Amino acid sequence: MSDFWWDVIDPIQSVLDGVMFGSIYALIGIGFTLIFGVMHKINLAYAAASIGGAYASLAAFQLLSAPALVVFLCAAVASGVIGYAVYICCFRFIPEHLPLATLMASVGMLILIDEVVVHATAGMPEPYPAMFDDVMIDLEPFWVRGDLLMIFVLSVIAMMILLYILYRTRLGIATRAVAQQPAAAQLCGIGQQNTNAVTFIITGALGGLAGAMVGASVGILSPLLALPLTVKGLIVTVIGGLGSIPGAIVAGLLVGGFENVFQYFRGVTERDIYVMLLLFVFLTFRPQGLFGRMSTRD
Amino acid sequence: MDFYYGMAQLIGVHTLLGLSAYVVLLTGQVSMAQAGFFAIGAYLAGMLTVLAGWHIVPAMLLAAVASAFVATVVGFPALRVKGLMLVVATLAFGEAVRIFWFNFDYQIAKGNIQVGPLGGEGFKQIRYFPENGWSTADVALFIWAWVIAAMVALWWLDRSRVGSVLRAVGEDELAAQSVGINLTAVKVSAMTIGGFIAGLGGAIYAHYTTHIEHLNFGVILATFAIAYPILGGLSSVIGVLIAVIFIQGFLVEVLRFMGDWRNLLFGALIVLAMNVRPDGLFDARAMRTLRRLFGARDA
Amino acid sequence: MLELHSLSKHFGGVRAVDDLSLTVNQGEIFGLIGPNGSGKSTTVNLICGVFPTTSGAVVFEGQDITDAASHRVVAAGIGRTFQNIRLFGDLTVWQNLWVAQNSVEERETGWFARWLGGQRRGRDYAGELLKFAGLADRANELARNLAFGEQRRLEMARALAARPKLLLLDEPAAGMNAEEVGQLATRIRALREHGMTILLVEHVMELVMGVTDRIAVLNFGQKIAEGAPAEIQSDPAVRTAYLGTADA
Ligand SMILES: Nc1ncnc2c1ncn2[C@@H]1O[C@H](COP(=O)(O)OP(=O)(O)O)[C@@H](O)[C@H]1O
Ligand SMILES: [Mg+2]
Repeated sequence: MSDFWWDVIDPIQSVLDGVMFGSIYALIGIGFTLIFGVMHKINLAYAAASIGGAYASLAAFQLLSAPALVVFLCAAVASGVIGYAVYICCFRFIPEHLPLATLMASVGMLILIDEVVVHATAGMPEPYPAMFDDVMIDLEPFWVRGDLLMIFVLSVIAMMILLYILYRTRLGIATRAVAQQPAAAQLCGIGQQNTNAVTFIITGALGGLAGAMVGASVGILSPLLALPLTVKGLIVTVIGGLGSIPGAIVAGLLVGGFENVFQYFRGVTERDIYVMLLLFVFLTFRPQGLFGRMSTRD
Repeated sequence: MDFYYGMAQLIGVHTLLGLSAYVVLLTGQVSMAQAGFFAIGAYLAGMLTVLAGWHIVPAMLLAAVASAFVATVVGFPALRVKGLMLVVATLAFGEAVRIFWFNFDYQIAKGNIQVGPLGGEGFKQIRYFPENGWSTADVALFIWAWVIAAMVALWWLDRSRVGSVLRAVGEDELAAQSVGINLTAVKVSAMTIGGFIAGLGGAIYAHYTTHIEHLNFGVILATFAIAYPILGGLSSVIGVLIAVIFIQGFLVEVLRFMGDWRNLLFGALIVLAMNVRPDGLFDARAMRTLRRLFGARDA
Repeated sequence: MLELHSLSKHFGGVRAVDDLSLTVNQGEIFGLIGPNGSGKSTTVNLICGVFPTTSGAVVFEGQDITDAASHRVVAAGIGRTFQNIRLFGDLTVWQNLWVAQNSVEERETGWFARWLGGQRRGRDYAGELLKFAGLADRANELARNLAFGEQRRLEMARALAARPKLLLLDEPAAGMNAEEVGQLATRIRALREHGMTILLVEHVMELVMGVTDRIAVLNFGQKIAEGAPAEIQSDPAVRTAYLGTADA
């Protein structure tokens, strides 16, 4: 093979790995975007709750030595519960017209969840179970890491379940009704409070899975993961277009691939600068995001 | 006694940080970029005194002007985005600044040691105060002179027509434009003033801690910056000071005996405070009561 | 004084304003009426540069102000009110007028006095307007604590604070009782006495017929009639569009 070919194989390989890892960003982005769509508010505690859920699932791993897949499911359940708690503490009782208060409360919750984790684990990283981490699929000239593929597949399954819930069940249709026409939905007897709570639980579960996937791909869990995951998730949400689920998915994969390529070329300390630049490029040339609508209505 | 001076220094610097976010918040912009401006002020002022041997006052002023300039440049694109988008954009900007300093090396030999910022190791030996024989008390006084100057200036601004204009823009941009307010000018000016004050705060911070590194200027610091004015209720600069004293003084210092549990309590208290007093600890009503106590005319 | 040349605004498929041309003369009270959703507010918003026009032009005193920024439109001498009142609720009544003091006369005073000076000048100036609006005793109240009718009056006073030559009133009588509508009519006439030109967008018929000199009627974004109030009242096309039936 020519030299040129060798030069591009490694970058392409890193894009491939990055895109698969990016499915985690997509999950987090979906969570932010869905809550924004329904409540027009931002839940900054979301990624922390996801990591928190993953930590909670460690109990099943360490105490019961449950298989990895069960641990992941426990993470989803635990995160759903945390999501409900976040809703109660930060959104349920704070008046609608004070968005700064909810924003601040969710920041408080972010710190709180992170600190609970730090205290429960004495701040030490914990090993997290993975699946197929010893498998390497040889697709000459590329390799596919088994654990990354598993992450990708599980994420896609989770997204499909979510889309099924949103578009095929009563619950999901009610949720979308509230997102689009809160007043009209209210008239049709759809309780806004309940819908909001359910949204937090569903997105929480999704986030929990994302948290577990982070743990599975890195092999360890650390409370230090929460903030970077928050920042990446928010960037994905904006690039995808606020409120757009397909946007969050595409943007998640895009950001994953993009950051991994730059990690390959520029190293891990500089990589995030380029992700920020990507965001600024979007904000300048396409502020409504990939799939967002430009709203003119005030 | 040194303990109290140390606390006064900390509260002073954080008050500047909070004030910088306060001005911007008045126009309705939630800026998570204040930690970035603070970092620019810190690194530049440190480089000016350590590497270029400047006196601290001009070093601070130049660093603050540079921060203000960057803030102006950020302010224009920031006009295009609102609400959540602005939060994310400014957050990303702040992080980009932090990562910039994480990757920034510029060292020169001074005597037999190398000084200057060194990437992940940070910028050590910003020893202007000890080298010039300032005591802790001197430093505390110096810091508070700046804090008081900034508070008085912003108090004045708040009471003048500019204050009402900033709040009008924060409340309803369309209505503000329709009465002849130039949104671009107002929002960018607020960003610039915020950048200047944050730069001052950072410049002082670099010198009293003597060692800065990129991790000092992360998302948590940006969060603190907006937490102060929001907890303070956005009705006056006094609210910012009260919030800083509450958070840094009460939570961080008084609860020192709680050791590592303080941060946890900090998170819980913010959640609680926003549920109990969503308008801020020190809201407009409290402000009017205070005014009446001092016999001022109700404005 | 104000000319609209084939002004159009489309929101997606909706032609909110469609090829609208009209002229408002100096010193006139011009009525713009039409059923709900016929594009009246959109017309006002286009004049004020709230959103870009699809096509056409807005000319004010011979100057092309199409798609000018809102604050430039104010500087050119056009003030407005909103159909759904938009006051600065957290500012006091007089401060609402203070922020709006951007008239040409004001601009001539020094920069420092205008922006950073004390409150006295601003209060004096606001005082006169508040007297005119019947709000003199409410000056220190927060705007959001005002009653509905008071809020409408304050919004009008705020539009006047920049000393406009042309005032655009978007449904100023909506939600008012008969007595308040009467006071409003008196106020509008008083403004004309002071040489102001007024574009009155209205739904309440008595007011429009009582105070305007000329009226244009919109339906589905298009002008279907224009003329003196008496002519409009007897125009069959207007009656069909406006009242739904020809003989109502
Ligand atoms: N910002 C907007 N986005 C989309 N459609 C709009 C917008 N503003 C007005 N419209 C539409 O334009 C039409 C005219 O509205 P409007 O000018 O408010 O009517 P009026 O003031 O005469 O009641 C309506 O069909 C309305 O739904
Ligand atoms: Mg209307």
